[in-house]
Amino acid sequence: MPTSPRLNCEVKMNEKEFERLLLSVQKPGRYSGGEINSVIKDKEKVDVRFAFCFPDTYEIGMSHLGMKILYSQFNSREDIWCERVFAPWVDFEEKMREHNIPLFALESRDSIRDFDFIGFTLQYELSYTNVLNMLDLAGVPLRSEDRKDLSPLVVAGGPCVCNAEPLADFVDLFFLGEGEEVDLEVIDLYKEFKKKGGSKADFLKEAAKIEGVYVPSLYDVSYNEDGTVSAVTPKDGAPKTVKKRIIKDMDNCFYPDKFVVPFIEIVHDRAVQEVFRGCIRGCRFCQAGFIYRPVREKSADTVDRQARALCESTGYDEISLSSLSTSDYTELEPLLNQMLCWTEPNEISLALPSLRVDNFSKELLDKINHVRKSGLTFAPEAGTQRLRDVINKNVTEEEIFRTCKTAFEGGYTAVKLYFMLGLPTETDEDLAGIADLGQRIIDLFYSLPERPKGKSPSVSISVSTFVPKPFTPFQFEPQIERDEIERRQTVLKYSNKNRRVNISWHDSSTSLLEGAFARGDRRLGRVIESAFKKGCKFDSWNECFKPELWEEAFKENGLSPEFYAGRKREYSEINPWDHLDYGVTKRFLICENQRAHRAETTPNCREKCAGCGANCYGEGVCYEKR
Amino acid sequence: MKSVRIFYTKLGRMKFVSHLDMNRLMIRVIRKSGIPVWYTEGFNRHIYINYAVPLSLGFEGVYEVMDIRLTEDNFSFEETVKRLNAAAPEGIEFLSAEEPVLPTVDIAFAEYELIFDPENAHLYEKLKEFLSRESVICQKKDKKGRIKEFDIIPKIKSAEFAGDKALLTLSAGNEGNLNPSLVLSAFFEEMNISPVFCSVKRLMLFDKDLKPFK
Repeated sequence: MPTSPRLNCEVKMNEKEFERLLLSVQKPGRYSGGEINSVIKDKEKVDVRFAFCFPDTYEIGMSHLGMKILYSQFNSREDIWCERVFAPWVDFEEKMREHNIPLFALESRDSIRDFDFIGFTLQYELSYTNVLNMLDLAGVPLRSEDRKDLSPLVVAGGPCVCNAEPLADFVDLFFLGEGEEVDLEVIDLYKEFKKKGGSKADFLKEAAKIEGVYVPSLYDVSYNEDGTVSAVTPKDGAPKTVKKRIIKDMDNCFYPDKFVVPFIEIVHDRAVQEVFRGCIRGCRFCQAGFIYRPVREKSADTVDRQARALCESTGYDEISLSSLSTSDYTELEPLLNQMLCWTEPNEISLALPSLRVDNFSKELLDKINHVRKSGLTFAPEAGTQRLRDVINKNVTEEEIFRTCKTAFEGGYTAVKLYFMLGLPTETDEDLAGIADLGQRIIDLFYSLPERPKGKSPSVSISVSTFVPKPFTPFQFEPQIERDEIERRQTVLKYSNKNRRVNISWHDSSTSLLEGAFARGDRRLGRVIESAFKKGCKFDSWNECFKPELWEEAFKENGLSPEFYAGRKREYSEINPWDHLDYGVTKRFLICENQRAHRAETTPNCREKCAGCGANCYGEGVCYEKR
Repeated sequence: MKSVRIFYTKLGRMKFVSHLDMNRLMIRVIRKSGIPVWYTEGFNRHIYINYAVPLSLGFEGVYEVMDIRLTEDNFSFEETVKRLNAAAPEGIEFLSAEEPVLPTVDIAFAEYELIFDPENAHLYEKLKEFLSRESVICQKKDKKGRIKEFDIIPKIKSAEFAGDKALLTLSAGNEGNLNPSLVLSAFFEEMNISPVFCSVKRLMLFDKDLKPFK
């Protein structure tokens, strides 16, 4: 068994030494622990220690709702102590390596190497090298096969698990779908094995029988000569397909009444109240819109009660109502009325992210206005009606203008619009349509007699690069190449003639990598490991991304990102994720892909069931009375 | 409405919280405590808090002072302290709530405890020697980024040495505040010593007559 040098070095950090290191790095509050509502237990009195790892910085990880839910839920059990772990920023990592400090959990400052579980949440593909770096910092062998003991078990959940193949060599077990139930079932099974001294191999075989658990080592993958997958074969009694788990009853599902309140400012520094899971819309580019199906709402009373408890326990003065599309919540108006009764007297502002332009009313605007006026953000995603139909973003130009009119007449002057570049079937005309839309929104402002007087409007347009993802109708589509991305960005830039319209775009250099991991197979594990060893980490951070090292890593392993990202996939091809079942059928995705190419829209779940397959869960919007 | 002066500690892990973050933290602690705190009436309503003298990141303090206002005149000081403590993180302990006696502009001095590691105990002698100089000219950037030269010695009211620590009383407040880290960096530089760690704790705030600030 390969041993990292740190394995031999038993350092329980000396408090004094640790404090001094903290004082020599940026934002020591990232590592200090001790925040309000963080959970401290006696490690002698728990059976299972769980290191909940977010493979990015503290500020990003602490903004993540899923982690807050599972942290509180695990800790609500007396026999489990769940602690938080984040990727140390490069300055502190350097100090840790220099002083032989292994990766530690914030609550106890104990090395996570000795924990029962090391659990990662995989929110985006570009965090994969951080997963390896964190394991390495912990002094844990990277590869699953090199970790012979039952513990620490390296497990992972989150949306990227829907194609986790690139991490298959490193992770012992994946959780598919929502974790509230399946995670605890696995922990309970582990407890049994720990007690009776069972082996890791036996544990994994047994765990694979739990619905929603994917043990990648129990599947053999074979390839065709052209590099595509020829078969995925389960062994040792593992199921042929693994089905994701969902929570059926959202009103009785665990929700934290406390959040850990950070000392330093984080990305989303507010209370977050979930209102529903899933999305009725079915925008064809959106992975979340498919993998979180079916839509399941919480009742307004539940949302109101949980939100209030959160505000009281944290002292936050802002709460956001979170979901994939909050204005689709069926009880939004009554909910807001109910909440305003206590948010207003307590000086709490309500934030509604993810509003859609097609059901945004004057009344809604007034309710948010009640508390604080900020900018308005909408996502038309594409510049022409034709392309919006292709992607099934069922928003019409008329609706966009009506919303902007409402907003301008309500005193807003700044509008922010999100678009994507590189969508399937996109032409230069579609790109020109983006700038044109901005121009016409400015014209609209000046045409309104009731516009805010003495102010000038501004339209900020933010353009990201489209990356096709698994379990979407675009999973078959090629991603456009780097040169083409740059050409289209130039077209976009020169099509804008108005200085009140400001167009910005995300750097496209990481898109190809993201695309390769999103639809990659498990051979990419070698590439990730090589890149990590060359020093790649924090790939989603511009200042850390090193494309030349990635290029080398692909070459050395005889693979190319274009094979995974840039290729059109036949419907009949076996994809690396086809043995995972997220409820939505491949047949439906094919049908939606064909409709996209005909620029035909599909009605949302509440208008008409499109037969995606998610009704197999027997719950949610599929069974709502209409 | 009444003004309330609150005394509290900033110890342990709380030393990693910068002044800006401390303000955000205090707002949350106050809100969580449920005391009837007064909000400003302006366009951007917020809790009124006035900190007597901010404490640098990395320092501890046992005589920290903030002024707030309560909307209920009958709300007791005891209850205020009790509720705030129930909402506070480890390291912040609210010691008392009192009626303010002096305006915060009357703060003239602050006493700091400086402790070197045992292996650097010989530095106390050197520090003593350093502080007994006639004058030590330091450079400091002002708010506009201009470099300003000034003498730190007149800003040092007193220095006591007790074997394993040094107690320095330095000018504090709006006019002529002297940060102990400036004293230390000047000391290391002038005495040609490579900088070592020194833990700093603020023990007390005084008025111009060296009476505890109340």
